[in-house]
Amino acid sequence: MTLFTSMNSLDPRVNRLPIDKVANSSPKAALDQFGTFEVFVQAKEGKPFQHEGIVHAPNIEMAYVLAKETFTRRFTCISIYVTDTRSVHVSAMTEGTNNAYENINDSGASEPKTSYEIYHLLKRGKQHIHVGSVTAGSPDEAMWRAKASLAGEKQVFNIWAIRTDDIRFTTTEDKDLWLTLPEKKFRDASDYKGGDKLKAFLESVNK
Amino acid sequence: MYGGGNTFEGIKPDALAGEDPIKLAEFEAKIDRGEKIEPTDWMPQLYRKQLIRMIEQHGHSEIIGALPEGTWITRAPGFKRKMSLMAKVQDEVGHAQLLYSAAETLGKSREQMIDDLINGKSKYSNIFNYPTFTWADCCFISWLVDAGAIVNQLANAKGSYGPYCRALDRICAEESFHLKYGHHCVIYLAAGTLKQRQMFQEALNRWWPPMMHFFGPSDKISVHTEVLMKWKVKMGSNDDMRNQFLDMYVPKIKELGFTIPDPKLKKNTDTGRWEYTEPDWEEFKRVINGDGPCNKERLEVRRIAEERGKWVREALRAPKAQYVTPLA
Repeated sequence: MTLFTSMNSLDPRVNRLPIDKVANSSPKAALDQFGTFEVFVQAKEGKPFQHEGIVHAPNIEMAYVLAKETFTRRFTCISIYVTDTRSVHVSAMTEGTNNAYENINDSGASEPKTSYEIYHLLKRGKQHIHVGSVTAGSPDEAMWRAKASLAGEKQVFNIWAIRTDDIRFTTTEDKDLWLTLPEKKFRDASDYKGGDKLKAFLESVNK
Repeated sequence: MYGGGNTFEGIKPDALAGEDPIKLAEFEAKIDRGEKIEPTDWMPQLYRKQLIRMIEQHGHSEIIGALPEGTWITRAPGFKRKMSLMAKVQDEVGHAQLLYSAAETLGKSREQMIDDLINGKSKYSNIFNYPTFTWADCCFISWLVDAGAIVNQLANAKGSYGPYCRALDRICAEESFHLKYGHHCVIYLAAGTLKQRQMFQEALNRWWPPMMHFFGPSDKISVHTEVLMKWKVKMGSNDDMRNQFLDMYVPKIKELGFTIPDPKLKKNTDTGRWEYTEPDWEEFKRVINGDGPCNKERLEVRRIAEERGKWVREALRAPKAQYVTPLA
């Protein structure tokens, strides 16, 4: 890429960039990639948590901060949580009329027991939703126990199990962002009513 | 929301040579039935490659698209406009994160995508290589470039790849205020002083040719992408998208009393298609290959941002961070 000493931009901020200082530094080195964290959002009271996507972050606390900004900046929610992608235990994905629980077999119980959160994919193309929790000694045992207590009537295409302790939940003080969201009308289409102005303008033109 | 006019490489006749015909048939049947493809499902290499390319280009367009509008944040006319523009630009950058995540589920890391952008290897929407001289240029982008992108996006949201569709659904929902905001800005210019009207007319004159380029080369000269249409990667032809945009927005521009700088522009009532002066596709190619008025500045600004943020990333980096492909 051609380097140039003056940006000569229309943007005064761009012209103020310290081009000389960084222009001759080495090309961008490959960094170790930040890991990814899976983000779950509870939109309304009484609704289950739903998987929404990922953020990249150096640790789970930063992941929580970035998830809040990325996924709840625009629309209010009750709560969110995040977990390291590597903490999510995933069953085989099924299609057609095959239920993911058909592939879950008793792999034996183990100790010590801990709590696991269970998620189902009920429709291909949609997102995983939280269905409940079980107590188990391993992720495989958690899915086996979920088969007995949470499988339900509906067809399940995919099951996730996450150890409850591996999740960063929302605390009361984390909720500040959402309290002020409804006041931020400038992020709402209804704040841009141009109809009257347009009508008055058209009438003045057609006079 | 800025996806649009994606450039696709020509597809070689032997592109599917190594694929298992039974799996390929099952894959195509699934798409025909309107089912979504998920990251862990079998897919042809060509599907994976073209999707990464398309979603990545879309993500880059959001990042680079934030620059010509971002230019005007510090000089927006009044506090209210400044708040709105900041929120809009923040949304666009957020959309890039959602799109990069969707592309990552196909196996290309976000870091690799960012490297490819900075090194000039990846493309982004060509229109952002043009400068925003005045506030009115910025308003043109907010209203009409966004409108053009929405035409593409709504079509793409019906595509076959689950994570991309989900990202687009979220983007479209967040997008609701952008278009209204852009229109609001232009109505105020139209109903303003003579000088304000003139400012927008001049912006329209400058931006109309790149806007016509925005949807990509005419179907007559663009590469063959039938297989991508069949796989619901590409959801409409470039000319169809352009036509739809003209249908929706030419009347709205004219309503405000502005003149579209193309004497040949008119709708053929027999065919239902718009006729217009053929856009200069040589210029389109020249600009997309790096020789536009702002290509260098756009990439340089990104590169400097990356460079200046390095110490933060290094300070935050956990020594044991290990990258795995995200889930969905």
